[in-house]
Amino acid sequence: MRHALVAVIVLLVLLPFLWMAYAAFLPPEIVYSGNVLSGFGFTLQNLKKLAPEGFWPRLGFSLLVSSSVALLQVLTALFSAYALWNGARLWAVFLFTLAIPAELLLVPLFGVLHQLHLLDTPWALVLPFAASPFTVLLVFQAMRSLPFALVEAARIDGAGEGRILFGVIAPLLFPSLVAAGVLAFAAHWNLVLFPRVVVGERYWTLQVWIADLARRYPADWGLLSAAALLSTLPLVFLYLLFERRIVETFEGSVKG
Amino acid sequence: MRRRRILELSAFSLPSLVFLGIFFFYPFLEVLRFSTWRWSGFSTPRVVGLANYRELLADPLFWQSLKATFVFALWVLPSFLVLSFLVAFLLEGQRYERAVKGILFLPGLVTVGAASTAWYTLLAPDYGALAALFPIPAWDQDPFWAMLMVVAFSLWRYLGYGVLVVSAHLKAIPAELTEAARVDGASPLEVTRYVVLPLLRPAALFLLVVGSVLALQSYVAVFLLTRGAPYGATRVLGYFVYQLGFENFRLGYAAAVTVVMLALTLVVALAQGKLLEER
Repeated sequence: MRHALVAVIVLLVLLPFLWMAYAAFLPPEIVYSGNVLSGFGFTLQNLKKLAPEGFWPRLGFSLLVSSSVALLQVLTALFSAYALWNGARLWAVFLFTLAIPAELLLVPLFGVLHQLHLLDTPWALVLPFAASPFTVLLVFQAMRSLPFALVEAARIDGAGEGRILFGVIAPLLFPSLVAAGVLAFAAHWNLVLFPRVVVGERYWTLQVWIADLARRYPADWGLLSAAALLSTLPLVFLYLLFERRIVETFEGSVKG
Repeated sequence: MRRRRILELSAFSLPSLVFLGIFFFYPFLEVLRFSTWRWSGFSTPRVVGLANYRELLADPLFWQSLKATFVFALWVLPSFLVLSFLVAFLLEGQRYERAVKGILFLPGLVTVGAASTAWYTLLAPDYGALAALFPIPAWDQDPFWAMLMVVAFSLWRYLGYGVLVVSAHLKAIPAELTEAARVDGASPLEVTRYVVLPLLRPAALFLLVVGSVLALQSYVAVFLLTRGAPYGATRVLGYFVYQLGFENFRLGYAAAVTVVMLALTLVVALAQGKLLEER
């Protein structure tokens, strides 16, 4: 009974993924036949059609932008977490920003980017996400689990604060930093409305591009599924690689 | 001496604070100013005082989306809590616990755009892949089913997170407690009801906090699945703001609605902060 229930839940959760992977290789004849379960077929046609639509450069651009954001977020979070660990009374500031989801600030953020003349530049996609209270929380929770004596010992040995942070603490935290980085990457990778609003088509991220593709070819499910599948793969790959660390880092953050 | 060192070391948080200052706190204050403007985003702003707020109070679309937001939250929050608890209990101590948790977590990470494409092609009424197997309610026309669709999509995305939270708290319960109850003759059901569940109150409160913030902000699913249709039944506040600002180019008015949403979020967050302190 218990196992059957779990199996049903797992199946329901996985169904969209399995379908996406299946439909990406479905020949157009079957898609357009009106009943997609009427036959089986395998084709690479859908994947090949992505290139003329401009998929690959878009993928590269998105990878670049989201990795820069992840890197920046982990770096700023590492600094902040170190300050918090050393007793800086700034927790309330981060807690406040944590309570207000950034999505709510879409309109004023547009206005501020306008004032800074950053609209329609790649910077509009990166700078607003350079620091995230959530990443600070994750890194701080991980850092707190280390013995503070490490820092004190290094100070007695005469190491500077930068040396301590990057030479002693960061290497010990490396798995958690990677996990926080993957989560930051995923969050940015998934933005749809924000990039759509602050940059023109030239700098659209992959997600915006796919939403637009769905608007242009609403019936070509093979093509849409192929684009969806390929845009999902980088995340699934990262996730599978670091799954244990990510889940543990997350668990650590909610226990606190 | 020690105090001075803390102050020096606080400087390490400057990079974060500078970015949050420019791209969080400054917009947070600026939105008040924007809300007194008539502004298309391209035009020169014109100051109109409180006109946007007066219009908002009389705007049936605003009240409708406020209602849609509450309906969405009333659907999502209880089902999110119940499902998170149920699945966490089902998984507890099973051999496949880790693997299943890993799988449940996946939808939250995976691209919304891709996920909604898969959902749409699977579940489109009449010609979706599943429509061949059983009739699918016309969620593109029926307000009730449209809302249910958005709710199901949101649950699908965040269930793994909820399960993780409950499970982490579940594991923190000392085994002696449940054993003692069992020795005293409590049935497994009674142990769950009178020992375990009360101890999981903090987990429930935490999920309530996270869930309501998510409920207030989760309009991306609406944008991708229903675009607020039919008849605005799924036009939650967040999507209303997006439409006003970037489809109708009325950023001043959109800013006024944003202010209302921020006020709502702060009230909810404060109320819940109180709840969490009491635990």
